Amino acid sequence: MEGSHLPSRPAGGLPGRPDSQANLADILERVLDKGIVIAGDIQINLLDIELLTIKLRLLVASVERAREMGINWWEGDPSLQSAENGGNELERENRELRERLERLEQRLGLEQGEESSRAR
Amino acid sequence: MPDELAIWAYCVARAGDPLPERLPGVAAEQPVSTIEHGGLAALVSRVPLAEFGEQPLRRNLNEFEWLERVARRHETVLEHALEQATIVPLRLCTIFGDEQGARRMLEQQRESLSAALDALAGHAEWAVKLLVDPAELEAAAGEPEAAGEPAPGGSGAAYMLRRRDERRAREAADRLAAELADDVHAQLRDWASDAMLNPPQNRELSGHEGDMLLNGAYLVETAKVAQLHELVAELQERHRRLGARLELSGPLPPYNFVPRPA
Repeated sequence: MEGSHLPSRPAGGLPGRPDSQANLADILERVLDKGIVIAGDIQINLLDIELLTIKLRLLVASVERAREMGINWWEGDPSLQSAENGGNELERENRELRERLERLEQRLGLEQGEESSRAR
Repeated sequence: MPDELAIWAYCVARAGDPLPERLPGVAAEQPVSTIEHGGLAALVSRVPLAEFGEQPLRRNLNEFEWLERVARRHETVLEHALEQATIVPLRLCTIFGDEQGARRMLEQQRESLSAALDALAGHAEWAVKLLVDPAELEAAAGEPEAAGEPAPGGSGAAYMLRRRDERRAREAADRLAAELADDVHAQLRDWASDAMLNPPQNRELSGHEGDMLLNGAYLVETAKVAQLHELVAELQERHRRLGARLELSGPLPPYNFVPRPA
């Protein structure tokens, strides 16, 4: 780090330091969805929607501004995408459920119709 | 039950490589220790199930203060480990029921962990952020084309013209920003062993001033770190006219350069 003219910030890790002094955005960005993913005995999906909402709000607040400037490289990141598309996901699920319900109703209606025709 | 302990894993290294000892872990009063198996070592610490069991964990992860404390401690342990050995960082919340669980993981993942350790040996991750002052960038983007032209008609027309000029200046500044970010990233990417882009960060958390145009991670050979400082200084100098600031930090745990989940 010697001889640098830059506002370079060492990553911390000095002995005796209780906690990392790196900025929180840096830390959360790394620990939440980077690092090798190994299934532990306690299963926690860090991409839980609740958490992701927070994560998005915290980490990518400047998305709109960045898009205006034509910067959008994170869009290939599935974890960020799934959160952004959370609304669409819900809509899709909703639509699928409605369709399923309709099919069930049709079948039920058909059976009832058959029954009533048989009864006649 | 409330006193039952599980095992939180931080990272994996080669067995026998020096790793931190007696450093505080993510849970109070539980220092880190090492579990070795099949030539690999996991750096771990004990965590109470009352706080880190599946249900409490789910709740705690959504408590911002808890998340911050645990994330910082996890990161601190990794930073210490990084000073002593090549490590493969594990994502937050890699938790095992007991030592046997951690050994089983080392056994099952031996190939991929070993390959990752080989790839990372002699390298370190560095972060480069590109920041600009939007006003300076707009000024550098050039004078509005119609500047100085006397406005025909009344003040309404003058207002419209001024609005148009402002919009053009902003668009020019945006184009310049994108070019600037592209250039800085391309230079670093071509030079580094590997590169990864992350979304720009939230000012509230990062505390940065100006607009963040680039948030890149670069894998750099340990022997070439001095060159990295020079390259970053050179890039900052090249774009000084635009008010560009490059912030370099590292070495960091190589989070961005471990195998990603499919």
